[in-house]
Amino acid sequence: MSKEDDRARDEFTGEAEELLETLSRDLVEFESQGRDVRPEVINKIFREVHSLKGLAGMLGFGEISELSHNLEDMLDRLRMGKIEITKDLIDLLYDAIDSLNRLVIGINDPSMGGLVDVNGLTRRVHQLVTNQPTQVHQDPFADLTLDEQTKKSLTEYEEHRLLENVRARKQILAVEVRFDFSDFDEKLRALTETLSASGEVISTLPAIDSSGGSGIAFRLLYGSTLDEAAVSVLVPDANVTSLRKAQAVVAVEAPEEDLSLRSISQTVRVDIGKLDHVMNIVGELIIEKTQLDSLTRSLHQGEALQQARLTAHELTKIARNLDRKLNELQKSVIETRMVPVGQIYAKLSRTVRKVARELNKEIELVLRGEDTELDKVMVEELTDPLMHIIRNALDHGIESADERVAKGKNPIGRVTLNAYQQGNSVVLDVTDDGRGIDPEIVRKAAVKRNLIAQHDAFDQHRAYEMLFTPGFSTAAAVSEISGRGVGLDVVKKNLQDLKGSIDILSVPGEGTTFRIMLPITLAIIQALVVRAAGEQFAIPLTSVEESLRIYSRDVRTVERREVFTLRDFTLPLLRLADAFHLYGDREEGPDTKWFVVVTRSGEKVAGILVDELVRQQEVVIKSIGERLKTIPGIAGATEVGEGEIVLVIDVGTLIDSFGGAAREMRASAFA
Amino acid sequence: MRAYLTTIIEGGTEAYELEIVEAASGFEALKTLPHHKFDAILTDINMPDINGLELVSFLKNHPVHRTIPIMVISTEGREEDRKRAAALGAEEYLVKPFQAKDLIEKLRRLLKVA
Repeated sequence: MSKEDDRARDEFTGEAEELLETLSRDLVEFESQGRDVRPEVINKIFREVHSLKGLAGMLGFGEISELSHNLEDMLDRLRMGKIEITKDLIDLLYDAIDSLNRLVIGINDPSMGGLVDVNGLTRRVHQLVTNQPTQVHQDPFADLTLDEQTKKSLTEYEEHRLLENVRARKQILAVEVRFDFSDFDEKLRALTETLSASGEVISTLPAIDSSGGSGIAFRLLYGSTLDEAAVSVLVPDANVTSLRKAQAVVAVEAPEEDLSLRSISQTVRVDIGKLDHVMNIVGELIIEKTQLDSLTRSLHQGEALQQARLTAHELTKIARNLDRKLNELQKSVIETRMVPVGQIYAKLSRTVRKVARELNKEIELVLRGEDTELDKVMVEELTDPLMHIIRNALDHGIESADERVAKGKNPIGRVTLNAYQQGNSVVLDVTDDGRGIDPEIVRKAAVKRNLIAQHDAFDQHRAYEMLFTPGFSTAAAVSEISGRGVGLDVVKKNLQDLKGSIDILSVPGEGTTFRIMLPITLAIIQALVVRAAGEQFAIPLTSVEESLRIYSRDVRTVERREVFTLRDFTLPLLRLADAFHLYGDREEGPDTKWFVVVTRSGEKVAGILVDELVRQQEVVIKSIGERLKTIPGIAGATEVGEGEIVLVIDVGTLIDSFGGAAREMRASAFA
Repeated sequence: MRAYLTTIIEGGTEAYELEIVEAASGFEALKTLPHHKFDAILTDINMPDINGLELVSFLKNHPVHRTIPIMVISTEGREEDRKRAAALGAEEYLVKPFQAKDLIEKLRRLLKVA
C-alpha cells in the first residue's frame, strides 16, 4: 500500500470515528426522547449516516458503505413517518452503530472487523422496513385552510411534518413577513430561530413583494404550541393567521379532559427522604462511571497493543450502556422531585389580600407560569423570600390610590408573579407597576445610615446593591409590614444558599421587577473541570457563558484591576489561583497561555482565569461541613473519578467578593 | 454534488461557452438572481433555507424570471415531489443517481440547442 493510501486511510478512520462518536450521543438523545423525539434529532442522525456512507463509498470501504446505505434508507423512512419508533428500531440502531465502529477499527486491525455480521444486520433492517403496519393515509390538509401555492410547494417530507403537527394538535399558523432584499437572509434566519423556540417552521415560501417595494415577501407555515395572538406578540412585524378551521379545534377538546383525569389518579405521594436516598445511589453510580471513563481514556492513550484496543472498545461500550441507564434513572428521579411552583401561589395570594387590606391599598395580583416545575426542596425554601419581596412591592413599590390617580395610573396597583424556565434555570419575576426605585432617594438614605460618604460615586447599579446591604431600609418609619428586622440582604443570602441569584430591574415612575434565578435542581449538575496552580476545580455550567484562550499580553490593567476586552465589553478578570491563595510554579511571560471562563451570576459577569480546561462532566455536589461553609466562592466538593476530590466553585459569592461588572441581561421586564 | 454537476456540464457543453453560477443554498440562489441573466436553472429539492419546489414556485410567479427554464434534480423514490415540481411549472426532472449523458441531454433540451 502506498503512502497516499495510508494517509487516506488514516484520515478516513479519524473522521469516521468522530462521526460515530457523535452518532452514539445523538442516539442516546433519540432514545431518551422516545416517541416524542424532535424531528431535528432524527434528521441529524440521518445526515450523519449519509456522510459516513459518502465517505466510505469514496474510499472503497464496501461493507461500511453498504451497511450505512441500508441504515440511511431506513432512517429516511423513519423521518417520513413510514416506520414506527419502537424498541426494536432503537436496539437495531445501537447494534448497527456498534458494528460500524468495529468495522472502522477493523480497517487497522482485521481481527475486529471479522466479527461483524453485516448480512445479519442488513436482514434485520429489511425486516423492520417491510414489517410495518399498513398506514391509513391521512389528508393533512383536511382541517386546514391552506392556499394552493403553499400546498404545491411542500416536499413530501414537509407534508409529513405538517401532518405530525396537525396530529399533535398544534396550532397551524401562516406567518407572513416582508424584508428588504439586501438582508432578507439574515432577518429570516433570525425570525426562524425565534419561532423555532416554541414550534416548528414547516416551510418557507418566498414571493414577490406585492406592495411594489424592492423587498421580498415570505410565507412561513408554522406549527406551534402558541396561538395566533401570542405569535403576533412574538413577531410584531409579521402578519399571523391561523389555518385551522374553527370546528377542528372544538372536536379535539373532549379527549384532553379524559387525559388530565387519569394523570390525577396516577399521582403518588413519596417521602422526600426516600427520594434523597435514591438520588444518593445515582450519585454513587455516576462516580463509578467516571472512574470507568478515566480507565478507558488511559487505555486509549496507552500502547497500541491490539488486546488493549479491544478491551478499550468493550469498555467504551459498557460505559455507554451505563450512561444510558444512568440518564434514564436520573431523569426519572429528578422528575419525581419536581413540583409545580403553583403549589405556593395560593399561599402567596392569601398573604397579598391580607397585606393589601392592612395597607389600605387595592391590589390586583396576577399569577403566571404556575405549571413551571422546580425541585420540591427549592419550592419550600422559596416561599419566604418570595413573600418578602411581594410585601416589599406592596408596601414600598405600589403608591397610594390618590398618588396613583394623580400620576394618571390605574388606582388599582398591579403585582405580577411570573415563573418560567430558561435553560437549566427557573426564573421568577415579581413585577409591580409602582413608583420604581429612584437612585437619589436610595443614596440619601445610605448617606444617612453612614453606609457611604456624601460624595461617593453613585449610580443605578450601586443603588440596587445598596438595597441588599445589611441594615438598609428606606421606609420613613419602619412599617408593620416589611420592617421586621429581616431585610433584602437575608433574602439574597437565602437565595444564594440555593445557588440562585436575585437582580433588580427598575424604571422610576413605571415599576420594579425583582428577578430570581434558580437552578432546577441542586442534586446533580453539569460542571466544567478546570486546573489552576496544579489544583482542579469544578465550575457549574449553569454559570458559564463561554470560555476562550488568551495570552498574558492580552490582559490589561484598568484602575488596578486586571481586565480583558471581550468583543466590545471590558471583562474584569479574577485569577482563580489568587482567589484561594495558591501558588503555582508557572513562570509568566507575555506569551503565557491562559483560559478565561466567562461566568455570570445574575446581572454580573467576570472572567475566571485558569491554566487549563480539563473536561466537562456531571458532578454530585457534597457539602464540605460547617467549618469551610463561610469561605466565599466555594459551593461544596465533588469526586471526579479515581477518588480525586475537587472543590466546586460558587460563582455567585466568588463574583460578589472579588468583583464583577454589570452587563445587560437579555430580556428586560419592561421591553 | 455542485462540483460534480459543474464538472459534467463544463465537460459536456464546451461548444456553447456556458457560464455557470453556483449557489450553496436557497437564499443564495434568490440573492444571485438579480445579478445575472440566466438561460437555465438547475436546482435540488432538499436544500438549506428554502426547498427546490419553493424556489420553482417563486420563479414561475415572478414577472421577470418566469420564462427561465428549470430542471429539478432529486433522489429516486420521490414520485410526489416530481409531480409537484411539474405542477409548479418546472420543465425538466432528473433523478439521482444519474449518468452524465442524461444530464447533458436534458440540459440541451432545456436550452433548446442541438
